[in-house]
Amino acid sequence: MAGATQVLPRTIPRREAWRRRGVRRAVTFYLLISPWLLGFVLLSAIPLVGAFVMSFTNYDGLNLDYLRFVGPDNYARALGDADAQYALGRTLLLMLVVVPVGLVLQLALALMVNQPIRFSNAFRTIFYLPYVIPVVAGVWIWKIFVDPSGGLVNAALGVVLPDFNVRWLVEYPTFVLALLTIWGAAGGGMVVFLAGLQGIPAEYREAAMIDGASRTQVTRFITLPLLTPVIFFNLVTGIIVALQILVQPMLLSPGILGLNPGTVPPRDNYFYVVHAYIEIFTKQLFGYGSALLWLLFAVVLGLTVLLFKTSRRWVFYGVEP
Amino acid sequence: MPGTTRREVLIGAGALAAAAVAAPILAACQPAKTGGSGKVVVMTDPNEFNDDDRKTLEAATKLKIEIVPSNLTTLYAMWAAGNPPDVFRVQAAGVPQYISRKMVKNLQPYFANSKLLKPDDLAPANNFYKWDGKQVGKGDLYGMVKDWSPDFTLFAYTTAFDDAGVKVPSDTTPLTYDELRDLAKKVNKKAAGKRVYWGFVHSNNDAWIDRTAMNMLAEKQQSLYTDDFSKIAISSNPEATKVIRYLYDLAADGVNQTPIDPSPNWMGADFNEGQIAILQYGYWYSAMAESDKTKGKTVFLPAPTWAGVRRDPTMTATGWVVSSQTKDADAAWAVFEQYMGGKPAQDRAKSGWGVPGLKSLYSQMPQESAFQKQVQKVLQGELSKSDFILQFNPYIGEETFATSWKKNLEPALKGQITFEKFVQNIEAEVNTAIADGKRIIGG
Repeated sequence: MAGATQVLPRTIPRREAWRRRGVRRAVTFYLLISPWLLGFVLLSAIPLVGAFVMSFTNYDGLNLDYLRFVGPDNYARALGDADAQYALGRTLLLMLVVVPVGLVLQLALALMVNQPIRFSNAFRTIFYLPYVIPVVAGVWIWKIFVDPSGGLVNAALGVVLPDFNVRWLVEYPTFVLALLTIWGAAGGGMVVFLAGLQGIPAEYREAAMIDGASRTQVTRFITLPLLTPVIFFNLVTGIIVALQILVQPMLLSPGILGLNPGTVPPRDNYFYVVHAYIEIFTKQLFGYGSALLWLLFAVVLGLTVLLFKTSRRWVFYGVEP
Repeated sequence: MPGTTRREVLIGAGALAAAAVAAPILAACQPAKTGGSGKVVVMTDPNEFNDDDRKTLEAATKLKIEIVPSNLTTLYAMWAAGNPPDVFRVQAAGVPQYISRKMVKNLQPYFANSKLLKPDDLAPANNFYKWDGKQVGKGDLYGMVKDWSPDFTLFAYTTAFDDAGVKVPSDTTPLTYDELRDLAKKVNKKAAGKRVYWGFVHSNNDAWIDRTAMNMLAEKQQSLYTDDFSKIAISSNPEATKVIRYLYDLAADGVNQTPIDPSPNWMGADFNEGQIAILQYGYWYSAMAESDKTKGKTVFLPAPTWAGVRRDPTMTATGWVVSSQTKDADAAWAVFEQYMGGKPAQDRAKSGWGVPGLKSLYSQMPQESAFQKQVQKVLQGELSKSDFILQFNPYIGEETFATSWKKNLEPALKGQITFEKFVQNIEAEVNTAIADGKRIIGG
């Protein structure tokens, strides 16, 4: 100890030690974030810039020989595209149904499995399972489930209604898709809510109950306000996911065409990104499709900014965010 | 270290990160294969190119072959990334567009010097791979069918006819399309709201609906498009309107699989399950038409006629082309040539999964079982009607018409739009796509 106090002041002045510490911290910081940063730059930033540039061209994705700058033409065309408007309307409708219902279900599940009940871990696992099932497998499960000929839904309802035969994917495709989406996302949202619930100090609830609050009042005035940051997070991510829906409606289309050019979902499930996919991969309009997707980004950004602005009124962080 | 400042460290870290970012990007800009690397990337259907084929071709060409499963989305993505496969699988409808967009290599010089693929020996279906800038079937060869079939032939499931008390059609006298529609309505059957038999299923769940229409129209020397392919012409052409109306009526009759009465399976599987009375599919399907359920109850029938001038060409002409961007065209051709004319081609001919692409291999098609003999008898009559070409539009992708058809058929069948509006929508959408294509490649 004595030796150390003798050596340090001679070789490394205090300021230099601070500088080296700072350098070490900087290097450590950049090393730790580099995997994410590299992934972001390679898989997000560069494609985003590429797609933005592409949206001002006539790029067909096939041959650079014919590449030409078209200015804002693609954006002007998108704004007058009746199919894009229809698809955006359907997408917003789906979002308005799926996001609130999904949030309520996720919160309800989280409240349920947060209770000190037997097998709560088993329930958590079961509820979380759909979230980790690959989307393709999830869709096929639902297709089998609602198949008009041998599906479980019609078979079960057929027990009480012998002539019952509903073609769910034809007559109610958006209803099935909404259920599938809510089912698939419930586990992920539940886990986030659960983490939020377990982060609320028990003393708050106990103090309220000592003061005579009922369970409902505790939930209403203690739990929910303290959960608002989590609700806000799930709300924003839910909206973003709902607006970008593509794979589920395509795979849910009757037949086995899958995610291929030529797959056309039922008109009710003709969503915005489905339209962009068809423009890009069926019609080879990569430039126009990119413009459509950048417009969607603007919608997502607008909604997110709006939510952030309203969050000041209803999201309680405890400390300044 | 004493001379190292924080700024320098940050610059160094930034440079390192930039190098790490740039390296894979630069690498990605380079094709995975380079000239003379000895590797050929082939995008094809793994069901049509098994591991034995790969080993055979690798031994014959001394090249390494990498298979990428065939998928249009993947193909377009690989092209967009500047790294297309050396050889890729296509269907006839896409060929004019691929050639017009300079995506495929002119193989005429290679065919001229080939000992395996002689021009005189090429089956007529290979004409789908010729394009002179204006017409399919004229000009140089850009590819070849792996095999093909007269695709407008019919398969009848006799049990469905027995159930309906209807006589199975003759396998020597072709039906007219009107007779076919009447027959389809008779054998079409539902029970308690559930499907028992679809009467007449065709056009691969409408994915090939334009090809069916084009072949019907060609009997009257008509086309879906104007001569220069600059417009689709349905409402302005009474003959085209009649054909589209006929195909629409089949859907409205409920005898075909449609967006409002779909099947969860593809039509080949439904026939195997005994759920289709009449299926329009090519000769290749005879290799699998007889399942446990349909064995001994399947009859192969000649193609129907629309106007009494029978035509039974292939509408798929599935085959291979060589990418114009390949770094080693000779290597790509070597694999192509062996697959089309070597042992894999002979194996395919013997399997019965299509009429061979070379006439010299026709005799190797199987004719052992009673069904195979009956199929061959009908097929021989159809081969004389198969020397026709469908003129696909070079400005649009092979799915453009079908996508528009499927998108608009649902509201039309639900009564949300009229037939006239249905046609107008298709015309507007396809004409927009044609205009886009013309703007891109000129013309």
